[in-house]
Amino acid sequence: MQHLGQMLANGLAMGCIYALVALGFVLVYRAVAVINFAQGEFVMISAFFGVMAATLLRLPLALSYFVVFLAMAAFGFIIQRLTYYPLRGKPHLTVVICTVGLHIVLKNGARLLWGPYPLSFPSFFRREPMEVMGILIVPQTLFIIGVTGSLFFLFYLFFKKTMMGYMMQATAQDPEAARLMGIRVDRIIALTFVLNSLLAGAAGLLLGPIFLVTTDMGGAVLIKAFCATIIGGFGSVPGAVVGGVFLGIVEILAAGYVSTFFKDGLAFGVIILILLLAPQGIFGEKVAERA
Amino acid sequence: MKDRMKSYSQALWISIGSMIILLFPLIVSQYYQQLGCVAGVYAILVLGYDFILGRAGQFSLGHIAFFGIGAYTSALLSVNWSVPFWLALPAAALASSLFGLFIGVPVLRLRGPYLAIATLGFAEIVRLILSRWDRVTRGVDGIAGIKAPTIGPLIFDNTVSFYYIILFFLVLMIFIAERIHRGKYGRLLMAIRENELAAEVMGIDTSKGKIMAFVLSALYAGVAGSLYAHLFSYISPETFDIEHAIVILYMLIIGGSGSTAGAILGAVLLTFLPEWLRFLKDYYLLLYGIGIILMMIFMPYGIIGLIRQLRLQVFSNH
Repeated sequence: MQHLGQMLANGLAMGCIYALVALGFVLVYRAVAVINFAQGEFVMISAFFGVMAATLLRLPLALSYFVVFLAMAAFGFIIQRLTYYPLRGKPHLTVVICTVGLHIVLKNGARLLWGPYPLSFPSFFRREPMEVMGILIVPQTLFIIGVTGSLFFLFYLFFKKTMMGYMMQATAQDPEAARLMGIRVDRIIALTFVLNSLLAGAAGLLLGPIFLVTTDMGGAVLIKAFCATIIGGFGSVPGAVVGGVFLGIVEILAAGYVSTFFKDGLAFGVIILILLLAPQGIFGEKVAERA
Repeated sequence: MKDRMKSYSQALWISIGSMIILLFPLIVSQYYQQLGCVAGVYAILVLGYDFILGRAGQFSLGHIAFFGIGAYTSALLSVNWSVPFWLALPAAALASSLFGLFIGVPVLRLRGPYLAIATLGFAEIVRLILSRWDRVTRGVDGIAGIKAPTIGPLIFDNTVSFYYIILFFLVLMIFIAERIHRGKYGRLLMAIRENELAAEVMGIDTSKGKIMAFVLSALYAGVAGSLYAHLFSYISPETFDIEHAIVILYMLIIGGSGSTAGAILGAVLLTFLPEWLRFLKDYYLLLYGIGIILMMIFMPYGIIGLIRQLRLQVFSNH
């Protein structure tokens, strides 16, 4: 029982990180209808920024988190200007292939900059687990659950209570109509990319202390985000969150009770099962074609 | 008169081109012979990819898996049961196309991002099985000792002779592809690509059309996989991973999707380019990625698209 509790807590923490990445993924998809294959690399870049700020610049950890957020916001904006913006109005396939190119550029650029060896990320907490309600938990796990929980709440408020949130939703629904309503669609899209970059940035900072930071970490994260998005239904914001958490927990349980072989293939197995049985996912709208 | 001159010069270029292709392995080093063989195999593979991606307009990322299934079928038949190449190749093509049918029926109901991710998932699962099912596929060690093709007393065990086998299959596959694309079924695929809804309204069975394109593309991949296995006499799962799936995607996109010449051009170019750019070392992949992004921005229809555009400009000036 104690073992199960521990696994659930760890699964929930991993799931929260998947959910963060999947959320950014869905935001970009809703805004420009493009799957961003470079999503995992955003997470990786942010983790490396964090390591740099904390070890190279020797900033206090809290301050280096702040610096990383600023850097990721700028990064998201620049990426949007360089790759998405010149391709506006081009066929979707073209834009998607461009994001695959971006994935290669970021991954190999990072390898040239930071080398192929894994770096360790400083943490606020000690690595020794502590006991909470009879379950042994590493403090970072609780930190992840707390931070992502509050981030999701902030996002909820942003979408439901602020003008900017409404404008973003309007743009996602129908860019033409949004433009006619006086919304500056290009700016909203740029903002979406910045938000996505911040979410991936948060994921990178939270993930860093659990694992080592390597240039290869992006690929795995991307696949998990894909899976979470499919489980939740493509384009659904609450779906991305639920899908991410669900995947995190199922993965840990499968690795614990069945075999680690299934852990690697599991994400894809779940994707294919969901697509065969319920292609619209848990929260997705039915996919209908616009004439 | 002018037309006749034009057709003469065209015939001249074609004969020079085929002379170069025919004599290529006899005048270059063994290293380039090998590259020529690899380029030919990839040309067949990408030609098949064009059926589903270029002609039918379905963004599948699973093509590499059919290549793997073809290669492993052929290799296992050859190593375990000493099946000769000339039987192993059709068996590999059949196995790949059967998988194409099984996967195509459920997957092709999906659209856009769903299709891309589901097919990527399929490719990743196939790779995992190839690298983990040790008893059958011999896991990450791969399969060695795949036998060379023979015809009577002739053994095609060096790169020069194998080059001509690949060339034979490439020409055959080009011929079949062109026949299909120019015929009724080619038009049907084009209709699906341009507007699936309209095609359906016009009475086209779009599901059947898409599944057939998927099966055909898998068949090409099976042939390419079998040739690949017998060319190197050794295969391992890493040839069939996602990185390679991206490479064949780029071969088609850079050459120009929806065009036979484009598919072949892209496959040949992206086989030789990494070798020519060896001196860039670690910077190669970075520049490669930047090249892709610039290409998507400035020439999204590939090299063939650019050539067509230039031609159009030249003609409209007269």
